[in-house]
Amino acid sequence: MADLKSLKATKFIPMLADRQKRFDSSAAMLPPGSDQARVLARALHPKRQYLKVANVIDRGQDCKSFELVADETRGTKSLAYFGAGKYLTVFETIDGMSITRAYSISSSPKDSLEGKYVLTIKLVEGGLMSRYILDNWTVGTPVEVSAPSGNFEYQPLRDAKKVICLAGGSGITPFISMANAIADGDEDFEMTLLYGSRNYDNILFKDELDELVKKCDKIKVVHVLSDKIEGKKPKGTEQGFITAKLIKKYAPKDEEYSVFLCGPQQMYAFVDKELETLGLKKKFIRHEMFGEFHNPASQPDYPSDVPETVSITVTIQDETKTVTGSTGDSVMQILEKNGISVPARCRSGECGFCHSHLLAGKVYVPKNLEYRRMADYVFDCIHPCCSFPLTDLKINVPVAK
Amino acid sequence: MAKNYDVIVIGAGNGGLAAAANCAKAGLSTLLLEKHNIPGGSASSFVRGRFEFEPSLHELAGIGEEGDPGMIEEVFDRIDAHVDWVKDNSTFRLIVPAKEGDKDTFVNENGVEVSVDVRMPVGFHEFSKKLDEIVPGSYDSSMAAFDLSTRMFKAFSYMDEELDPIKMMGVLKEMPDIMRMASHTLQEGLDALGMPKKAQGIFSTYWCYMGVPASRFDFLYYMCMLHSYVRAGAGMPLRRSHEMSLAIDKVIRENGGDIWYNSEVTKVIMKDGKPAGVQINGEKEVYGKRFICNVAPNFAWNDLFNVEDIPAKQLKMANARNIACALTTVYLGMNVTKEELGIKDYSVFIAPDINSDEQFKAAQDYFHNYCIINCLNEVIPDCTPEGTCQLFLTGMTFGDVMKNIEPKDYKKFKIRVANDMIETCEKALNISIKPYIEEIEIALPPTFSRYLNTPQGTPYGYMLDMWDSMIPRTIQFGKDQPFDNFIFCGATQERGDGYGCAYHSGEKAAALTIKAFKGGK
Repeated sequence: MADLKSLKATKFIPMLADRQKRFDSSAAMLPPGSDQARVLARALHPKRQYLKVANVIDRGQDCKSFELVADETRGTKSLAYFGAGKYLTVFETIDGMSITRAYSISSSPKDSLEGKYVLTIKLVEGGLMSRYILDNWTVGTPVEVSAPSGNFEYQPLRDAKKVICLAGGSGITPFISMANAIADGDEDFEMTLLYGSRNYDNILFKDELDELVKKCDKIKVVHVLSDKIEGKKPKGTEQGFITAKLIKKYAPKDEEYSVFLCGPQQMYAFVDKELETLGLKKKFIRHEMFGEFHNPASQPDYPSDVPETVSITVTIQDETKTVTGSTGDSVMQILEKNGISVPARCRSGECGFCHSHLLAGKVYVPKNLEYRRMADYVFDCIHPCCSFPLTDLKINVPVAK
Repeated sequence: MAKNYDVIVIGAGNGGLAAAANCAKAGLSTLLLEKHNIPGGSASSFVRGRFEFEPSLHELAGIGEEGDPGMIEEVFDRIDAHVDWVKDNSTFRLIVPAKEGDKDTFVNENGVEVSVDVRMPVGFHEFSKKLDEIVPGSYDSSMAAFDLSTRMFKAFSYMDEELDPIKMMGVLKEMPDIMRMASHTLQEGLDALGMPKKAQGIFSTYWCYMGVPASRFDFLYYMCMLHSYVRAGAGMPLRRSHEMSLAIDKVIRENGGDIWYNSEVTKVIMKDGKPAGVQINGEKEVYGKRFICNVAPNFAWNDLFNVEDIPAKQLKMANARNIACALTTVYLGMNVTKEELGIKDYSVFIAPDINSDEQFKAAQDYFHNYCIINCLNEVIPDCTPEGTCQLFLTGMTFGDVMKNIEPKDYKKFKIRVANDMIETCEKALNISIKPYIEEIEIALPPTFSRYLNTPQGTPYGYMLDMWDSMIPRTIQFGKDQPFDNFIFCGATQERGDGYGCAYHSGEKAAALTIKAFKGGK
């Protein structure tokens, strides 16, 4: 039988002394506190970015672009680089309420290296944050945002080389960033943008898009105008909606293509049905999140006999409070309306940043916003941004930071 | 006035979770602080589209059979935490594609010319027999190695309960083979047992789970790990490792412990030369009597302490020790089944060379044709929706290999690395992966640095080199802790990385903490 007899057991004793000797002969100074992995992690994912408004471009129709630059006086020296398509979560305090909204960055990744992000914000009907920003942000306004976040990006190992981008209204913003990234050589794909607007005079970023098409032959733009066009149809436009027929008309004939969508909920409801008829593989259809969900009672699977108001007892670290709110609001909205900050990023269920423990009570989560992990169901964890209370609740929420 | 906790645990990685659960269960008022919004560190999961990915876990060696629980199950049983385990009765398949000049190559079942392609079974005898089939004359040496590992587990259970180095040495002297194993490398051990070199390569395949190649890894610890896998196979949690972390989270809460997420310790508050409290997110202060720290010491010293408060020995230790390997991982949600892809194994190790030292050397570059490919559907068939499967690719790196990468180059670099890893798998298995990728996520050392907060993004702690291997770390454990009320846990401690090792470190830190309270200290 094979054995270890040829190895010296006594070798073990000096090993311990050797370890001690190595420690003794090392320097009693701090070891390196950083390395390139940490430098990159921090540069790409800062906890917060403190910015200020450097310029405001009024685009008409209750829409403005805000150029944001680093605010060194508050500790942000440079902007986090990002992949075109990502969003920033904006943190604001409105009438004592801490609220957040996610907005796609409309400027290019290259612009961020030169010290600038652009957020383009259009008034949302009844929208608290958009109203506030449009009314209050002027040159010099301090702005606090998250690191660039989200997964709505071109990924060459997954997506087709040719991408049909479908945009509705202010859903154009990530595509402006992507188109610029293509023109700058930072992304490499062919973009055909079908952009839905009401009428020709109503097109956001019209001049920028014309410019991009001129500059880069990988970018094509078709304006899809829903209002009836009076007189001659302008060049590069289509009348109607983004239908399967229209997508087919502009899609490559004999090769695979991806479809990227960004726009309001109504657009997704319509276009998703159209896309079904095209028989595309799931991997070739990618949606940007459409933002906060409202009116859960409109969902077919929403239960009956839900009270109008509920109370929520929330514990954050060592503080517990009880608040009341409407069952039409998400848990996150109820807490915010009561002046309680909640960790929030995407506000669409997807990112999981608001992951919390439901200790008692029941919530409703719209099916298409279910991005929870499997174990979350077993251990009663929820994403407050897309959970609507059905009963009084007791929850434990991480601190917003 | 804020509560004064019996114990504050810094970091809810596997070590911190196990520590907090055991302290809470023992009736100590316990606060667990975690900078992220969910527990687990490596033991987590993430969702992309219709896939939920396992971020780090390859296989748990400590999942046994009905009536014969493995070590990991016992960690959960001891605190009454419930996880649904799924058993895997395979170990690994190793493929070494043929290189120019290789002799004895053959074309494998996938139609690829290889110098090695072997599936190793569970069971000491079966494993050794298979090894002997591939490399005749290796059966005896392989069985002898497993015989040694069976005997050494006895020594382990003793060492866990003993902190006195002198007593420990006394017992070890009664076990010369254990001392031989602990003081010689895996390679020296296998040489002494007369194992042929090629068989040694196959035998050493799991080196990468601890990140130390055969010429630097102690024979004892390697055998401890291999033994655990070969004895009864491995297992996985049914709902990714997020399930394991939430199960422990629940135990902590149910036993009166507090867990605060998004609560990063930004400073340890000192009083009379000892930790007395922590500052959270740069603002709130909380006080405690004893502390268990799941942050890597190198960063804890830099980020949480004033240099004058750090014992000189701790600084010397941190400078003397080597940072272990880091990983590159690719997560793929596939729009075809594993059968359609042509994948038949849970774990396939693809290596450019059969020698682990050559594999380790290759890891110092990013593009090295070393890759492990896992298909979770082999163990949990319905872990993805019908008609799909998920793949998990792991490569290794070593050193500060990110040093020339700037933020603006990072995305493209990630894609290049992932592409290289995918192509390594495609070539070695003669399959097509790229056209079927529905979801992809890529993690490089900066990703690990962000989520684990470790030097160079290593999940492995300090390199388990011979001089800093498990037994010396265990014997000197008591002396290596910085303050009498502050104990480290996690991958940087005795047993290095791995879920079982990290849980063990947390249990041990908790046991010492509980003992200190009982002893009235």
